[in-house]
Amino acid sequence: MEKTKKKAKNSWSKNDKIFLGILIPILVLFFCFNTLPLIRGFYYGLTNFRGYGDYDFVGLRNFQDLFSDVRVGKSYMFTFKYAIVMTIVVNLISLILALGLNRSIRGKNVLRGIYFVPNILGGLVVGYIFSFIFTYILPTIGEMTGIGFLQNSMLASTKTAWIAIVIVGAWQGIAMNTIIYISGLQTVPEEVYEACMLDGASGWKKFSKITFPLIMPFVTINLVLCMKNALMVFDQIMSLTNGGPAQSTESISYLIYNNGMDGGQFGFQSANAFVFFIVIVIISFLQMKFLGGKEEQL
Amino acid sequence: MEEKTTVVTEKKVPETLPYVKPKKTHGAVGSKAVNRIITVLLVLGCLTIFFPLYMTVIIAFKQPSEMTNDVAGALALPESWSLDNFAEAMRVTDFWHSLGNSFLLTGVTVVICILLHSLAGYLIGRKMNRHKIFKASYYYVVSGMFVPFAVLMMPLVKQTAQLGIANRFGVIVLYVVFFMPMNIMLYAGYLKNIPTALEEAACVDGASAWQTYWRVIFPNMKPMHATVAVLTAMSTWNDVMTPLVIMSGTDQNTLPLAQLNFQTQFGTNYNLAFASYLLALLPILIFYIICQKQIINGVVNGAVK
Amino acid sequence: MKRKFRKGIAFIMAVIMALSVCLTGCGDEDVTADGKVIIELVQYKPEAVDIFEELEAKFNATHDDIELRIDSPNDAMTILKTRFIREDNPDIIGIGGDINYSNFLDADMFMDISDFDGLADIKENYLQINKDLEYVPQEGVYACPYMSNAAGVLYNKDMFEEHGWEIPTTWSEFTALCEEIEAAGIQPLYFGFLDSWTTLAPWNAIAVNLCESDITYQVNAGDATFSEAYREVAIMEKELLQYAQPNPVAYGYNDACTAFARGESAMYVIGNYAISQIKSVNPDMNIDSFVFPANENAEDNILNSGNDLMFCIMEDCEYKEEAYEVLRFLLEDENVQLYIEDQSAVPCKKGDFELPSELDGMSYYIENGIIADYQDHHYPSEMSVDAMIQTYLIDESSDALETFLTRFDTEWVRYNRDIIQKVQEYEESLEN
Repeated sequence: MEKTKKKAKNSWSKNDKIFLGILIPILVLFFCFNTLPLIRGFYYGLTNFRGYGDYDFVGLRNFQDLFSDVRVGKSYMFTFKYAIVMTIVVNLISLILALGLNRSIRGKNVLRGIYFVPNILGGLVVGYIFSFIFTYILPTIGEMTGIGFLQNSMLASTKTAWIAIVIVGAWQGIAMNTIIYISGLQTVPEEVYEACMLDGASGWKKFSKITFPLIMPFVTINLVLCMKNALMVFDQIMSLTNGGPAQSTESISYLIYNNGMDGGQFGFQSANAFVFFIVIVIISFLQMKFLGGKEEQL
Repeated sequence: MEEKTTVVTEKKVPETLPYVKPKKTHGAVGSKAVNRIITVLLVLGCLTIFFPLYMTVIIAFKQPSEMTNDVAGALALPESWSLDNFAEAMRVTDFWHSLGNSFLLTGVTVVICILLHSLAGYLIGRKMNRHKIFKASYYYVVSGMFVPFAVLMMPLVKQTAQLGIANRFGVIVLYVVFFMPMNIMLYAGYLKNIPTALEEAACVDGASAWQTYWRVIFPNMKPMHATVAVLTAMSTWNDVMTPLVIMSGTDQNTLPLAQLNFQTQFGTNYNLAFASYLLALLPILIFYIICQKQIINGVVNGAVK
Repeated sequence: MKRKFRKGIAFIMAVIMALSVCLTGCGDEDVTADGKVIIELVQYKPEAVDIFEELEAKFNATHDDIELRIDSPNDAMTILKTRFIREDNPDIIGIGGDINYSNFLDADMFMDISDFDGLADIKENYLQINKDLEYVPQEGVYACPYMSNAAGVLYNKDMFEEHGWEIPTTWSEFTALCEEIEAAGIQPLYFGFLDSWTTLAPWNAIAVNLCESDITYQVNAGDATFSEAYREVAIMEKELLQYAQPNPVAYGYNDACTAFARGESAMYVIGNYAISQIKSVNPDMNIDSFVFPANENAEDNILNSGNDLMFCIMEDCEYKEEAYEVLRFLLEDENVQLYIEDQSAVPCKKGDFELPSELDGMSYYIENGIIADYQDHHYPSEMSVDAMIQTYLIDESSDALETFLTRFDTEWVRYNRDIIQKVQEYEESLEN
């Protein structure tokens, strides 16, 4: 399979041209509604635009400010801490869930349905319920059991507020990654297992030697998607902490949205968003390069 | 006219296509003992979902005057199980109208996404390793996923207004573009495990590339279609921002937009809001359960080696 | 083969085109089919949608030549901003007298309405508040104040009567009262500082008493610093914490409203805007209010009140006279009273209106115009002063106050660079 591809490399077959011909209009559509506005956004990053009215061109001032702004720096630290922990937690749990939900177990469809619910509960509901859990229920449990760290609301301390956001973020985010893992598991043919059953491989060995390498493309996709979603965390922060306490949970998206859209810093936050975009692209490509090298094909 | 051509092309497809029978797979065939442990763990995991869901349901039935700050009171059952909150929530959100809009936006978006993105994913995924331009397109589109929406928002508002599509159509176009990177990633990833032998066999039989795609590859990606449908529908269904900024002033509400009615700057009616969220949750949950069956049962690949 | 692909693309395109035709809605128009001028008013208080619909119907029933269309959208600020971008401005907008007004005005978006006859009936204080919101003093009047709100201390009237507590008029009386309430085994105050914006409620109520109303302009002009102006305010707000429930940052605005409504605290430092949320939990509650007594001299106390809703006519509105007619209608005594009753609001119009009973304790100040605007109406929202105050309140280190004040001054410069430059240029032009 690989060999036939290599043989034809660099030469354009008729088939290739057709493929490109169909692809181009799709890319043009994408350019118009993604790249073009991004370029305009970059342009706004060079101005002191407030989102309306007149504005002046200020050159690279916004970009210079960006690197000296303590708040932006702190938001990067928070966002990365959150994203790394989230990516690990969510992928571990959703992979285990997917493996579990993919087996022949009783009530599989009901279980799948239940695990999907958190993802579609709106931000208002999640915010209210989890605030209540963190503010009242956990401290009550803490007092009843005498567990010290539970007695204070997690949302009220700069040390623990981010963990609360990770918990809620993971609670909501796991469904999506689980779905992708489940569909990934469908690409693993039964024959492969039958073959390895004959070899006597089982349990962990089977997973690590066979299943995992075969679903590697989906691991890559999930890591990239999860990382991207976590880096853009916004909803959970709005509904749980509003960036507090003491501005310890301000994510980059929170700043971009709150200060750029609601506030008058549209130009500056456009610059912030542009730099942030470059940063995520770099991270994700490194991720894909690293993981892509580990993929195996049938 | 267009339809005719499709019909004709379908007829031309030779009968000898390698038709693959759906075959059930279980990602893993484990022993019964392991299954029981896993079942127990999964059920325990459900508790983390049941508890918040329980709170949501009881709050949806309570009156604002039943809201308290003490744990026992908050977990207590409502005084009466009246459906008034649901009726009132439906009135406030103009439920059927908003629901219709949400259905329209989500439905059309999902259909276009599946048709267009699977095609694009196929084009890119199959040729990625042959020509740099396809690989470049892949990275170009995927990188578009990382653009924070906030930076696109204002330019898009302007652009859609200039193009005269500051309406439901414009929102659909934007969704199709927003979800393109993720979906292309998913389709291209899925293709890696669909052997090229499938198309090659069709090609030998004289089918055109276009036919091959729609007759052979497209049906073979059924689990991925279902996955994409679920993920796209989920994001579209819950999205507030895009319809808010693009369709403002058109009198067209989606459900999440209408649900903003429950929140004002200085007060939120949680009881009505929760009732409304539960109502909005049902359609997408049903859709998900239908799609789940497709993900699991639609597997045909792996049969050709 | 190629042709088929083209046809395929053409098919997809055709579908998209067909959809676009189906879904494209109607355009905007200025005049109705029967020749009425359409005046579009977008106002930012969705909670007032019912009363505005009533007023809209009433207006249209009495006017043959104008059709009024009032829109009360959710998240109106985002919608307004997107409409500005789209160059699809309404004729009149109803917004609050806060930093958004300053910014819109600075961007030359409003029409000068100084020739509007209705302005004569508006209390001067509220007009002056709008003048103070201008970054640099401008000629003309750009907003017609309609309703105001007031902030101070809400108290549980029944509880006060039961214990025979007196309304405090000085700071020492207030702290003494708090201690008395505590001694009775009741929580004096309850805060919801998890929602950081609520830290601004005591902040504003104290600051109007201790700072000059144009302090931000003075700082911009380089004549004052916040370190000096806000020192007392910051100290006082932190002192309030000792009378509040433990760990106030753990609780949100909604928790605080519920707690106050359930009688868990005797007082709540917040504005009249919280009354409806409190009453939703406890509809029979007897609430009254008093001015925050931040001074040692009762006569010096000032009520914290600002423009909650005011109408601005957009610069590009083509039907000024018709827009004035709409404002005249809204300002008719009868309609003002309707609005007050529906929204428990405080009118900006002169005259004898019946105020909501919850504001009895503030009515003397409202009627006599002893008011000053919220300080935070002058703060750029991106500076997040509320979060800075929250940070300061939970900072237990010994130099917390200094850290906060220094930060206030430095961040102010960082977030107001363009405005400071504008103000200083203006000041220089005055000198020359």
